[in-house]
Amino acid sequence: MAPSSRPLSPHLSVYRFTLTMTMSIVHRATGIALYGGTLLLLLWVLAAAIGGDFFNCVNWLFGSWFGQLVLFGYTWVLFHHMLGGVRHFIWDFTKAMDPVGRELLVRLQLGASIALTLIVWAIFVWFK
Amino acid sequence: MSEKPSAAQIRNPKTHYGNAKASTRHFITQRITGAINIIFTLFLVWLVVSLAGADATGKLALMHSPVAAIGLMALFVVVAIHMRNGMRDVIEDYFDGASERLAMAANTAFTLFVLVIALVALAKLVFWG
Repeated sequence: MAPSSRPLSPHLSVYRFTLTMTMSIVHRATGIALYGGTLLLLLWVLAAAIGGDFFNCVNWLFGSWFGQLVLFGYTWVLFHHMLGGVRHFIWDFTKAMDPVGRELLVRLQLGASIALTLIVWAIFVWFK
Repeated sequence: MSEKPSAAQIRNPKTHYGNAKASTRHFITQRITGAINIIFTLFLVWLVVSLAGADATGKLALMHSPVAAIGLMALFVVVAIHMRNGMRDVIEDYFDGASERLAMAANTAFTLFVLVIALVALAKLVFWG
């Protein structure tokens, strides 16, 4: 039998927000942000390859307060999406799927992503 | 990849959606590339941090080192697979029919755009300085 396509996702507005659901949305949102964020990584690599004034310009941009703000956000998004992936690995082995376990896992993920971001920036940027 | 499922298909719990084999491969690919990306995330943080500590000359010197360039090349390849796969999940949820096919093509085009330019730029750094 020829497979038919999957039905579309229902509207979000019909649900009451729960923690795991919110984090599922955040996982998707951070994934999409990282998808676009590869352009920043590309710009950086391109600047190094081209060098000269273009490199200095990009270097200045990433060093400016706005660039630093974006990179700080990027760091959290990256860590949060990474830990979200780890959470899915744990769920793939059907661990922590009960109401208490899954809520704890999600709280740990959010706490760890914020902590990791602050630690990396504190050690390597703010107090280096 | 085809048209909208009918109401009767959605009501029937035994309806099979999509391609079972391709979807399993998609799932496993996403898990494997995701696991590799944990290592690449740490590598990227290390690289960016090392660069942040260096002056302009030091920055360019580090970017020219084979460790950085080869690591970044591998990173871009695995990330390209992971990001295209991931965006595919999003597209499947919100698009149907012709708009789905168009979005899938745009997804592949964007991924290839990022990957090819990154690999050419990194190859230039390694071989031509």
